[in-house]
Amino acid sequence: MTLSRESIEAAIKAKIVEIAAQTGDDASELEPDEIIPATGLIDSTGLLDLLAWYEKTYEISLAQDELTIDNLGSLTRMAEFLLRRKGLL
Amino acid sequence: MATPIHAPRINNNDDEVKVLAFEVEKGSHVRSGQIVGQIETDKAVLDIESPVDGYVLSLVAQPDDLVKVGSVIAWLGEQADEPVPDDSEMAPVATSRDLGSITAKARLLLKKHGLSADAVATINGRITVEAVERHLAADTSRLAASNRDAPGADTRETPPEIPGVMLSPSREERGMAATVAWHRDHPATGYIEIEYDLAPWAKYAKKMQDDKGWMMSPLLSLMTWRLVEVATTSPRLNSTMINDQRYQYAPVNLGFTIQAGETLFLAVLRDAASLDEEAFVSALGDLQRRAAGHKLRETETSGATVSFSSMERWKVSRHIPILPPQTSFIVAHAAGRDGKGVLGATYDHRVLNGAQVVAALKLLSRPASD
Repeated sequence: MTLSRESIEAAIKAKIVEIAAQTGDDASELEPDEIIPATGLIDSTGLLDLLAWYEKTYEISLAQDELTIDNLGSLTRMAEFLLRRKGLL
Repeated sequence: MATPIHAPRINNNDDEVKVLAFEVEKGSHVRSGQIVGQIETDKAVLDIESPVDGYVLSLVAQPDDLVKVGSVIAWLGEQADEPVPDDSEMAPVATSRDLGSITAKARLLLKKHGLSADAVATINGRITVEAVERHLAADTSRLAASNRDAPGADTRETPPEIPGVMLSPSREERGMAATVAWHRDHPATGYIEIEYDLAPWAKYAKKMQDDKGWMMSPLLSLMTWRLVEVATTSPRLNSTMINDQRYQYAPVNLGFTIQAGETLFLAVLRDAASLDEEAFVSALGDLQRRAAGHKLRETETSGATVSFSSMERWKVSRHIPILPPQTSFIVAHAAGRDGKGVLGATYDHRVLNGAQVVAALKLLSRPASD
């Protein structure tokens, strides 16, 4: 899997759109720097699904104290966190 | 490691065989292939051979016992003093009575009602359907118990006439079926709900989330932690009824329902009361994330002693959860409206009364520090 900021952000956004649709919300307009929890597009359970998918897809393991807005709060931050974790940033 | 000797199938139509005799005794050394005993059905007698070299640890069945095909009739070990595995589920099923004295239909009827032939008076020296029916008629309480203890025994459904396909259930689906069956057969369930003010909990959770910079609101985890606290101080909530006696659990094993894709888990955080609030929130978050990723360990999918279920996500205003097996209290958290929320609980009325449930729900409706 080739990892670039753009491809990671696109994949995460697609997953968020999928999760939001489960509860009838449309996340297709989500911007890269928007704080995901603050948008209300996905709830805590949806965030759990997102993070479980993130760990599995990119083969990383998150510690509970890493689940912060600073690390993972937006598409951009999630992409940067992953690239840092993979030593690509 | 102990090696079982199973009762073999001799005839396709016989699900039980009779143990005729053993040629060895407990403590004997046997060699692989050595004949250790004989079994028979109506049609044949068969030697039983030892599958391995070893010592006879236990003769589970006795001569003249009827045993289920596939059940363990003896245990062998590499050492004479090895512990014998629990074979309680494999014990002889029927009687020491002569197999030939029981008609085939009577045997089916005995099996259907879980009766031993020894309990039934014979007619002209034989156990017939009439003899079994007489016994059942004279012991209606036993009949009722038999029906109760064998749920579904008489109610197996035939497939619909409409074309379709029969699909095997997943492990999780089997678990849910077992939970529902326990809920149906054992507790005397009730359901109570109260309305509460959402603001104190929302404020408390928001402060913690902001202070820690967490991505997810800890609201549900904090409410669940409150349940752990309440179950600790009110141990009746953390109990169940076993054979007409209340069994009070020592640890609080917190069950939390998690919908992961198509699968509904009851993820279990064991000995939750040994944690503090923040450690609990962290541990429950970790458990939830692993459940969402279908990575729960075996010990995290069973053994709940008290539980919490939220359907807030689905915006339902009320749901009445099924009690997990051998528990008496599960909280139902639903969506709020106009600043008010609803907290309910399904409970086992054998263990808890309505006043106790209301008291617990009121404690859960606000943070402890509020």
